[in-house]
Amino acid sequence: MKIRLFIATVAAKLAVWGLRLIKSGGTTLPGKIALKIYPNIGVELAKNFNIIMVTGTNGKTTTTKIISKIFEKNDIKYVTNKSGANLVGGIITTLIEAVSVTGKSPSSTALLEIDEAAFNKITHYIKPHMLVVTNFFRDQLDRYGELYTTLNGVKEGLKRCPDTKLVLNADDSLCASIGNEAENSAFYFGFESTSYAGKPETTSSDAMFCIYCKEKYTYQSHVYGHLGTFECPGCGYKKPATNLSCVSVDKLSTSSSEITYSVMEETGIQSYSANINLPGVYNIYNGLAAASCATLLKLPADNTLRALSSFESGFGRMETIEAEGKTIKLILVKNPTGFNQVLNFLATEEKNMSIAFVINDNLADGTDISWLWDVDFEMLTELKDRVNVFYTSGVRGEDMSVRLKYAGIPTDKVNLCHDYNELLSQGLASIEDGCNLYILPTYTSMLDIRGILANKYGLKEFWK
Amino acid sequence: MKELTICHLYPDLLNLYGDRGNILSLTKRAEWRGINVNIKNVTMGEDFIPEEYDIIFLGGGQDYEQQIIQNDLIEQKGTEIKNAINNNKVFLCICGGYQLLGNYYKTWDGKEIEFLGALDLWTVGHQDRKIGNIVFQCDFLKNETSDGFVVGFENHSGRTYLGDSVTPLGKVIYGNGNNGEDGYEGAVYKNVICSYSHGSLLPKNPTLSDYIISKALSQKYDDFQSLEPLEDRFELEAQRSVINRFVKA
Repeated sequence: MKIRLFIATVAAKLAVWGLRLIKSGGTTLPGKIALKIYPNIGVELAKNFNIIMVTGTNGKTTTTKIISKIFEKNDIKYVTNKSGANLVGGIITTLIEAVSVTGKSPSSTALLEIDEAAFNKITHYIKPHMLVVTNFFRDQLDRYGELYTTLNGVKEGLKRCPDTKLVLNADDSLCASIGNEAENSAFYFGFESTSYAGKPETTSSDAMFCIYCKEKYTYQSHVYGHLGTFECPGCGYKKPATNLSCVSVDKLSTSSSEITYSVMEETGIQSYSANINLPGVYNIYNGLAAASCATLLKLPADNTLRALSSFESGFGRMETIEAEGKTIKLILVKNPTGFNQVLNFLATEEKNMSIAFVINDNLADGTDISWLWDVDFEMLTELKDRVNVFYTSGVRGEDMSVRLKYAGIPTDKVNLCHDYNELLSQGLASIEDGCNLYILPTYTSMLDIRGILANKYGLKEFWK
Repeated sequence: MKELTICHLYPDLLNLYGDRGNILSLTKRAEWRGINVNIKNVTMGEDFIPEEYDIIFLGGGQDYEQQIIQNDLIEQKGTEIKNAINNNKVFLCICGGYQLLGNYYKTWDGKEIEFLGALDLWTVGHQDRKIGNIVFQCDFLKNETSDGFVVGFENHSGRTYLGDSVTPLGKVIYGNGNNGEDGYEGAVYKNVICSYSHGSLLPKNPTLSDYIISKALSQKYDDFQSLEPLEDRFELEAQRSVINRFVKA
């Protein structure tokens, strides 16, 4: 055993222990310390594991959660970066925690969520055996730069990983272009064109024009955003044939979705009815991505179905907290497409509710909040009779109030409240028993609100 | 009943950074005063007919989308746009749209790309971007109730320089503005207003939004005098929160 590897591992482990003791998470810093002491630690650590990475703009955390559940149902021991610490430091911390000081791990599988902008960098240390890419949407331009820069970074990183098996979203022209260009073997998931009829997004679609020849794509069907059965009339680039597809959406409710999906197996095409334990069409994609991963790993389908119907939501993704006879639901928002999907979901809520938008502009949230103007808050006017109060909060609460006013929400229904304790007590008081208070925070405001919820109502601390 | 028609140029391509907010601000603030608003979306391959519009909006896009529209803007719509500007038509141009009206864009590695040349200004690309909140002050917005402050967010790698016939939109109080050197932000030429600031620009800066609406109405209606005031508590609170954070008292 190399002495520097040993020192780096011990130092990082001590840092994890110390930071948790003072309750400050410690999900990223220990890995950074280890990298400083021994830059090659990633390569050494990776030797212990079969590595599956999940990346993309939206749905990384949920897809990772579903795959975790699939592993549990198959009794596969694995390690994962549970708390969404998905940059290089966080990945290294996760692997260090998993190994003993002599560098051995009881699990042989690592399931790692990785930030799409960090993928390129991590491939210098760690080459995954499988990479699942959920989708690409416009996201925090101040941090990521242009969408195409992020996408090209993933393609760049993959050049170092010729043996990595790809799982790709066939309905996303950006994501599918990875498989179109790379030499790697690719497994595609998507919606059959007849399975779901979403609305086309006409004004702020992220990829209306062909990535290769800049002609406007034609669509046989839309799911949401730029996702759908696309084809370029100019150069012929089109949605690739899918290996696993949703053939019908049978029921959408506020708690789950029922779908039928089919898979090409050695014995022919097999169809399965699945219940996906989180609402929203976007979570169907996450389910398909996870089922694709399981199919590639040759895991039995019945365990996958059990996992799809029973996985728990991730950190801030529809986390549910019972409080004073009412329910708080926490849904992270971070970019226009994701936010629109959450609003679509809220439109299916039949009971009275209050909604709190908690918008911060720290680095991890995106310092530029102009994307709020790309979110379709106008759709809230249709359900405003069921919304008792719209709360606005966070560093950019004032901006959010303006956005709601211009979306057509009456200003007397909009209540700015910067103090989170006050927000929670007012919010709960504003709804009837048995009803939901939806809290829609950006990343850093979610951390703060979770902290308060942990103290008040015993919500799990995020690194557990 | 008075009426305004807003032309949104390339809404399907130049729609970065919440540009829609500017259209919404102009629309709502006119409608709240009983002015009827039509929106005409004009994109690639479609005719630009300036007589039909009272306000023309040109936003910014990613490099990828900007390359797609460049030829259409310059070759297909260029002459009409230049004529409209010289005939005092009201324009609002943000970020990439601002740069496109200028003479040229010189990339960081020295390649010169010819732009529309409607305004005497030019842009030089750099490898680092100017990203962050911006506060600037416009003299023409100062009055008894307003200090003329405008707030927004900038994100651009190009540095823009103004020729003699073009005046800056405002003086930078916080942030970088046009080039981070001369202390100015944006450009004004006739009734064309250009800015690097999104955020969106107009919703939080109601006096600027009203200024643009007033300009358009006075171009169109001889009997137009002034806009009646609106209740702007939310807008001004949002503006104030940015000023309080970034500008020392």
